[in-house]
Amino acid sequence: MSTVFLTAALALLLTIVLGLAQVFRQAGRADSLLAAILFGTTGVAVVLLLGKALGIPGAVDVALVFASLAAVLGVAFVLRGWPPDDFPEDPRP
Amino acid sequence: MIPQLLDGTLVLVVVALAWRALNDRDLFRGVIEFIALGLLLAMAWLRLRAPDLALAEAAVGSGLTGALILSALVRMRRREQAAAGQPAGVATGPWAKDRAKNFSRVLLGALSVAMLGTLAWAALSLPAKARGLTAEALARLPDSGVTNPVTAVLLNFRAYDTLLEIGVLLLAIVGVWALRRGEWPAADLRERPLLLSLLRWVLPLLAVGAGYLLWIGASAPGGAFQGGALLAGALVLALLSGLGRRLLRRGRLVRTGLTIGVLVFGVAGAVALGWTGGLLQYPTGQAGAWILVIEAAALVSIGLTLGLLYLGGRPGEK
Repeated sequence: MSTVFLTAALALLLTIVLGLAQVFRQAGRADSLLAAILFGTTGVAVVLLLGKALGIPGAVDVALVFASLAAVLGVAFVLRGWPPDDFPEDPRP
Repeated sequence: MIPQLLDGTLVLVVVALAWRALNDRDLFRGVIEFIALGLLLAMAWLRLRAPDLALAEAAVGSGLTGALILSALVRMRRREQAAAGQPAGVATGPWAKDRAKNFSRVLLGALSVAMLGTLAWAALSLPAKARGLTAEALARLPDSGVTNPVTAVLLNFRAYDTLLEIGVLLLAIVGVWALRRGEWPAADLRERPLLLSLLRWVLPLLAVGAGYLLWIGASAPGGAFQGGALLAGALVLALLSGLGRRLLRRGRLVRTGLTIGVLVFGVAGAVALGWTGGLLQYPTGQAGAWILVIEAAALVSIGLTLGLLYLGGRPGEK
């Protein structure tokens, strides 16, 4: 059973690698920002799978911390880090 | 086969990411790569069966530091724009045409290599099978008041180190406050209903999560630093959206919160010294309660310190 979990974790890790390759290749800033947020989601899944495969119950807490701080990072990115040159128009609704 | 593939991929990606995060010409992308690096490092720690380190990396190393670096980048870019009136945020590249800078880079590189060599020599000269203090620490675990060996070492066997660590955090915020007055970036919540509805969910979750990590630290990976990071995340969210301004303007309250960790820890040490005759040697049978009280106070201080560092200066009164 743990092989299944490890294989799934590897597959998810490979999607992160693919996403990173895109970020490395001069993707736009908004693209890399979205990629980072999606890495967070994938990362939660990988951490949970690794914890299950290796029998580490504490992994659930690691995933919890990742998920909660991802919200903080997302808000910080949007409110503070959103690059102005990518969005010349008024960002307010 | 699968585990080896997983490990190999992790190692390659971590090294590549670390290199890119340091060398990316676009600093904004560098920040993103740094955050992704933290994520992958936490996975690597988990793979090495070190959930305590994975948790610390997830809480402090990736999320919170990422937000801090991002805020520093925004501030730097704004200052550069104000100074030169040209687009900023692009580094000068690894080999700028500045001789003094190149010299210092070479010097720093040489020092780093020397440091690495020393560390490698120190690691290689260790006996291959060291006994260490693991057996002694584990044997005394029942006396420590907690069942998580990491917490037992940090808060009981080597509590002095942790006391000084919390003192270092206090020093850090004192230093930042002494330098300048912080900006108070705040979004108008009336214009951002989506943010408000997110905060309604996330702020309580972060607060409960911090308490949970503190409590579970006695028996599983967790503790004041990890919980404090979640608390700091909540504080960063509040600062970004302009909540709790009035509370933060009450300087004495904030300063009490910042120092309470060191104060409680120090007083506990002094009381224990008078009671049992050893500094931070808790009375037999009560160690668990002492640790919980100390950690709860430390949680408040750590959360406030890490969160207020986000302002980049003391909360200014206009």
